Amino acid sequence: MNLTVNGLAREVESGPLTPLLRVLRDELGVHSPKVGCEQGGCGACTVVVDGAPRRSCLLPVGGLEGAEISTVEGLGTPDDLGVVQQAFTHHYAAQCGFCTSGMMMAAQAYVDGGGTDDREAIQEALAGHVCRCTGYVKIVDAVAAVARGDSFDLTVTAASAGMTSGGDLQ
Amino acid sequence: MTASEVLVPTTADEAVAAFGDGAGVTVIGGGTIVMPEITYGRLRPSKAILLGRAGLAGITRNGSTVTIGATTPVAELAGLPAPLGPCAANVGDPEVRGQATVAGNLCAGQGLAAPRGDLQGPLLALGAVVRSVGPGGERSEPLESFLPERESRLILDVGYEEAPAGAWVCLDRPHTHDYTALAVSAVRASDGSVRVAATGVAGHGVRLPSAEINADDPEAAGAAATADVTFEDDALASAWYREQTLPVLVRRALAGLKEAS
Amino acid sequence: MKAVGARLPRYDGVAHVTGRTVFVDDVRVPGTLTVKALRSPVHHAGISVDTSPAEQMKGVHAVVTHADVPLNVYGHLSGLGIPGDEPLLAEDDVRYKGQPIAIVAAEDEDTANEAVAAIKLDLDERPALFDLRKAFDPDAPKIHHWGNWYPHFENEMDRRQIRKGDIAWAFDHADVIVEGVYRPAAIEHVPLETQVCQVVPEPSGRLTIYSCTQALYFSMGVVAAHLQVPLNKLKLVGGTVGGGFGGKVDTATETMCSLAALKSGRPVKWRWTREEEFLCSSTRAPWHMEIADAVTKDGWILGRKMLTLHDAGAYARFSPYGLTKHSFHHTGAYTIPNLEFDGYVVFTNRVPTTAMRGFGVTSVSFATETHMSRIANVLGLDPIEIRLKNANRIGDTSPNGIVYSDPSTVATIQTIAEAIGHELPAAYRTTTSAKREGEWLPEHLVAQLGNPEDH
Repeated sequence: MNLTVNGLAREVESGPLTPLLRVLRDELGVHSPKVGCEQGGCGACTVVVDGAPRRSCLLPVGGLEGAEISTVEGLGTPDDLGVVQQAFTHHYAAQCGFCTSGMMMAAQAYVDGGGTDDREAIQEALAGHVCRCTGYVKIVDAVAAVARGDSFDLTVTAASAGMTSGGDLQ
Repeated sequence: MTASEVLVPTTADEAVAAFGDGAGVTVIGGGTIVMPEITYGRLRPSKAILLGRAGLAGITRNGSTVTIGATTPVAELAGLPAPLGPCAANVGDPEVRGQATVAGNLCAGQGLAAPRGDLQGPLLALGAVVRSVGPGGERSEPLESFLPERESRLILDVGYEEAPAGAWVCLDRPHTHDYTALAVSAVRASDGSVRVAATGVAGHGVRLPSAEINADDPEAAGAAATADVTFEDDALASAWYREQTLPVLVRRALAGLKEAS
Repeated sequence: MKAVGARLPRYDGVAHVTGRTVFVDDVRVPGTLTVKALRSPVHHAGISVDTSPAEQMKGVHAVVTHADVPLNVYGHLSGLGIPGDEPLLAEDDVRYKGQPIAIVAAEDEDTANEAVAAIKLDLDERPALFDLRKAFDPDAPKIHHWGNWYPHFENEMDRRQIRKGDIAWAFDHADVIVEGVYRPAAIEHVPLETQVCQVVPEPSGRLTIYSCTQALYFSMGVVAAHLQVPLNKLKLVGGTVGGGFGGKVDTATETMCSLAALKSGRPVKWRWTREEEFLCSSTRAPWHMEIADAVTKDGWILGRKMLTLHDAGAYARFSPYGLTKHSFHHTGAYTIPNLEFDGYVVFTNRVPTTAMRGFGVTSVSFATETHMSRIANVLGLDPIEIRLKNANRIGDTSPNGIVYSDPSTVATIQTIAEAIGHELPAAYRTTTSAKREGEWLPEHLVAQLGNPEDH
């Protein structure tokens, strides 16, 4: 069957009952969605399917002929970060990073759908996503910042922060 | 994760034909219930039907009759009046209920560790009628008589008459990945009759006739309702806890109904 | 201190937000076999195992049991005086539901699962113990070869014991005895990334082990000890952990995967399912703590009797170490001059418990602080004033006789009081951590004073 992943047409050979998560990770080499529970309970596998955020562990690929899938790889690159990626970086919204992919795709879908910086609305939209590290506050800060249209200065380094140089701390 | 046959019907007729009498068939709507079972090796379908593209989704209105297609996402019901709306809004989280289907929810088997099929409660209280196919062909019947056979039939749609007043109360769940341990739906139909139903009791959702005949006295109705259900322990709550809280939920639902009228 | 307060980039920040952080399951090596484990379905039993049906199955490249382990005992804290008691893979018996008995490395997940299901496992079930309070009953089932509680503290003591001052005097002179029982339950770490390991057998004879461990060098030592190989035979790659919180120090997968890689000659990967993570991974321990404080009606704590039972689960792992830390802290931030403390590491037929943030100390902090509030309630005194009264000061001594030279307790409590708008009387607002004198030095605290220079 055929899918579009981050704008690229991909041919899929995995069986039709294979979850999209496994297709992305094991067949197509798209590793940003993570295996957290494979039961739909944690949100680490969330990707955007035809504009809507969905748990890829729950989607049999056979029902996705022609679907357009967006993942973190499509949000931006280290040299050209997308705005959600910038916000998550600026606001320290990631610690171990394992929930981050799912959170960002849910966040992207939320702001693309007109979501505001109302914290309760953001929490409701991300309610299915578990983070064991951050306590969620900085994640909500990051999403609110995107919704508000904030811009981010990510050029600060150890040197510019006034630390004496003594090694490459960038 | 392999099955000998996986069908993706593109029309309702194709879906019906694929289902046949349902023997040996696994139906996958949104996948939220079935896919984890497959992933964890508890279910190995020999024949599976992916229903998402068979054109069975959508809510239509004909006068005061509301008809909900089988694969309508649960999320689409969230804006409807109580009891159905708030119940749907409380299923999973936005992603799960955006993908889960109404029919999948109604047909969920009894959960191993927690109750499933939240929508059964509101639709029982609404006097919903289910149109399904399976052994014996197509038939329409009240949800009550459908539920015992829910795992062997394929729902096409479910319909109900809009009601002047409804209420839904539940035990709050700690997180969106939890199921709801106990919930009560109450509806006053346009002929004035009151129907009350509960989910989170043993088996599947059930009407509470003892509460219904006492509908004018919410306190008495709550006390009487425990006679209508069997309580069991599960991972979410003990039978004892449910027995303590059901009367409270019934009382609140009926009080809410009185206020809404 | 130029970094404190500065806005610095995380070294892994950009990788996290671009999906490029390589967690162990993102490491992809061609030809990798999938590992699954046969785990005990019961809490306590004698076992015998026949793995031949799995070994003969098409697609299975290795089945590993205790017989394949050069040193099967998990004695990783022997350097700290804690002997090993836990097999890497079960041999004659199993002592917790989920205990690994054998592992299979196969071409794919379905084959690995089928092979595990095909292994013949005979069980001779034995009575199990779950309530740690019952471990001391004469008719309690015997569930550990050392007895039902850990007997190998220094001088072969079977408990951590602290005696200080004269507890009988304290209890004779108290106005009230305040008792409390505190029983925090087990807690799962629930890292978003489950336990996972990839091992690659190198042509040179070394093993490359991609590990999610929180403690790379420690795990390296554990693997080397089990395999009886020098450290330079192992290359551990890691430091990228999808959440650990203390639960990824047990080295729960690395050795077994190494054995599977050696036996099959192929790379292997073992990723625990979420169900496995919940049911079989180690947890923070449940504790049972009983405190009885001898107190005066104006809020001095003259003495404390305390009994702690720490639920180690089926094997000792790090529990003796956790209990030891707990013991030092059993008076919390407060100076109590007369002490009778006994703490036991008790075995039950549960998954062995392990470290989790604040290992050993969070339990006693919870108990101590709750008990202070309980005392305040019983005496009708202000809960913050009673804490300031008894708070550690310079020159006070800890339960095991260490003299405090710079405790920050008083200032911390005062800061909290101000932050929450809790009015304190003048003396409590102005008292400091300076050595006790005047109203802050009742007669019964004189003997415990020490010289802070001795710290």
